[in-house]
Amino acid sequence: MKNNTLKKIVCVIVCLTLVMCLAACGSSKPSSETKIKTIGINQYGEHASLDNCRIGFLQGLEEAGLKEGVDFKVDYQNAGFDDNVNTQIAASFAANNVDLMCGIATPSAVACFAAAEDKNIPVIFTAISDPVQAKLDSGNITGTSDKLPVEAQLDLIRQLQPDAEAIGIIYTTSEANSVSTIAEYLEKAPAYGFTIEAIGVTAQSEVTQAVDTLLSKGVDLFNNLTDNNVVGVLPAILEKTNEAGIPVYGSEVEQVKLGCVASAGIDYLQLGRQTGAMAARVLKGEATCEAIPYETISEYGIYINSAALAEMNISVPADVAAKAIESSEA
Amino acid sequence: MSVLLDLAVGTLTQGLIYSLISFGIYITYKILDFPDLTVDGSFPLGAAVTAVLLTGGMDPFLTLPIALLVGAASGLCTGLIHVKIGVRDLLAGIITMTALFSINLQIAGSNLTVDRGTSTIFTAPATMALLGSLPLLYRKLIVSFVIVVLLKLIVDAYFRTKNGLLLRAVGDNETLVTSLSVDKGRMKILGLVLSNAFVSLSGALVCHEQRSFSATMGTGQMVFGLAAVIIGTTLFRKVSFVKGTTAVIIGSIVYKACIQAAISFGLPANLLKLITAVLFLVILALGTLREKGGARHA
Repeated sequence: MKNNTLKKIVCVIVCLTLVMCLAACGSSKPSSETKIKTIGINQYGEHASLDNCRIGFLQGLEEAGLKEGVDFKVDYQNAGFDDNVNTQIAASFAANNVDLMCGIATPSAVACFAAAEDKNIPVIFTAISDPVQAKLDSGNITGTSDKLPVEAQLDLIRQLQPDAEAIGIIYTTSEANSVSTIAEYLEKAPAYGFTIEAIGVTAQSEVTQAVDTLLSKGVDLFNNLTDNNVVGVLPAILEKTNEAGIPVYGSEVEQVKLGCVASAGIDYLQLGRQTGAMAARVLKGEATCEAIPYETISEYGIYINSAALAEMNISVPADVAAKAIESSEA
Repeated sequence: MSVLLDLAVGTLTQGLIYSLISFGIYITYKILDFPDLTVDGSFPLGAAVTAVLLTGGMDPFLTLPIALLVGAASGLCTGLIHVKIGVRDLLAGIITMTALFSINLQIAGSNLTVDRGTSTIFTAPATMALLGSLPLLYRKLIVSFVIVVLLKLIVDAYFRTKNGLLLRAVGDNETLVTSLSVDKGRMKILGLVLSNAFVSLSGALVCHEQRSFSATMGTGQMVFGLAAVIIGTTLFRKVSFVKGTTAVIIGSIVYKACIQAAISFGLPANLLKLITAVLFLVILALGTLREKGGARHA
């Protein structure tokens, strides 16, 4: 019995030591250099738009005169779309006393902001559609919003398909960004003579069924949002719509590269650069996050995929063609 | 040094908050032998309810018993579906979990954030009066520690009551329970109610800590809870029954420490889960080997 108690105590000690050791291993890196600023980048997951945000962010910092390795170093972490990992990444940034956190996509920004509360570490976000809804519009936080240019997109569709009536949109009901964008589409579509057929899904596995439903309802075209769930299975959507001869419009350039016909959308690289410039001001001490309001991109690019357009027999009017950027991968 | 300490405190807090999930899994899986998937739904349920109540201006501490109650209700659903309708255990949990996904979104509207101006249990006046001089990080640790230890003591005390002993008997020996003219179905329902109340409370604490609810935050929590229970009970295999609750708390902390270590080593996200799996394997193997070694010496 006594032996047993001893074992228990040993177990507890082993466990605690383990925890401390593991924590210690990871934390030994920083704080060696004192002057260099550390930026913790928490990216929610890996996909082309979010990657572009990060690349643009670093470019923006360099353009503002800050050199990686000299003026700042980057602790880049990727949560792999896992909420728990996301939380722990943010917590480790706070523990490591980074000088600035950058949250790419809403969940990451929210996690960073919560973790930064104690030490009041400045947070910069990007790729968030609705910072007000996410309560990221006040406090030691600022950044850039990737709110979609809904009217520009509707205008583009009208020019490319003068006879189209019904637009099919699939969105994820739990993505706040998508829900607010759908509301905007429903509000603005009638002015352009469109009706919206929206289908909400809860998981990626339901997307292809939603495609079939929309096709059976006889929509004239599909339109994507920046919905992570839906965009993630874009190739599967395109396979079905191409077979049915229905064009799909993207919400940004990466989707056009994948085979969407066209998009009036954001250049995430540019969005990232804008974010990097804001971060540079904060790091240089020129302004605090409180003093910088969050920004949206006011200029949008028109991206087209000629091969996909030709396949759908859509001809591009000369004035659209003049400002459009050819974005097919091939 | 302070960095190390901060990381350890943060990890301990995470481990404690999430250990309430492993309490729940301990009751259903380890005691009742019931693989309960309701967890992936009842965890965000607690967070959704808490997020709505907090933004509505409710006293932060009052949200905790409410989270317990709604969690209990979700467990009751799974229990009734399983016992009264006769749906298989796994499927009963899946049904409730699936329904809860929609219910959670109905409750919260969408993913919800609680702004910094709203006080949580970690910043409430009562907490500030007692621990106001400490930084938020330490307040979080102390408050979660008190809540978890309090619940652990209550659970331990309950297991020693006649009712608690019957609950434990249902998983081991159903015939015995029936022969005592006790309805084993009712005991199973009771177990599920208790379990999901804890899981929901864990979700509520996460909402207080993270100031947010996300519809997908429940994904994989059942697996987490299971891993924490198995790590804890393997490390403490030879320890008497009541300490099972302590074991799963430590299991939860070890799990979170593994993830934290993987993140701190700067591993790419794609490899994170693999490394975590390897760390578990090492811990479990050590537990088993130590036992074998001990047996040889004895």
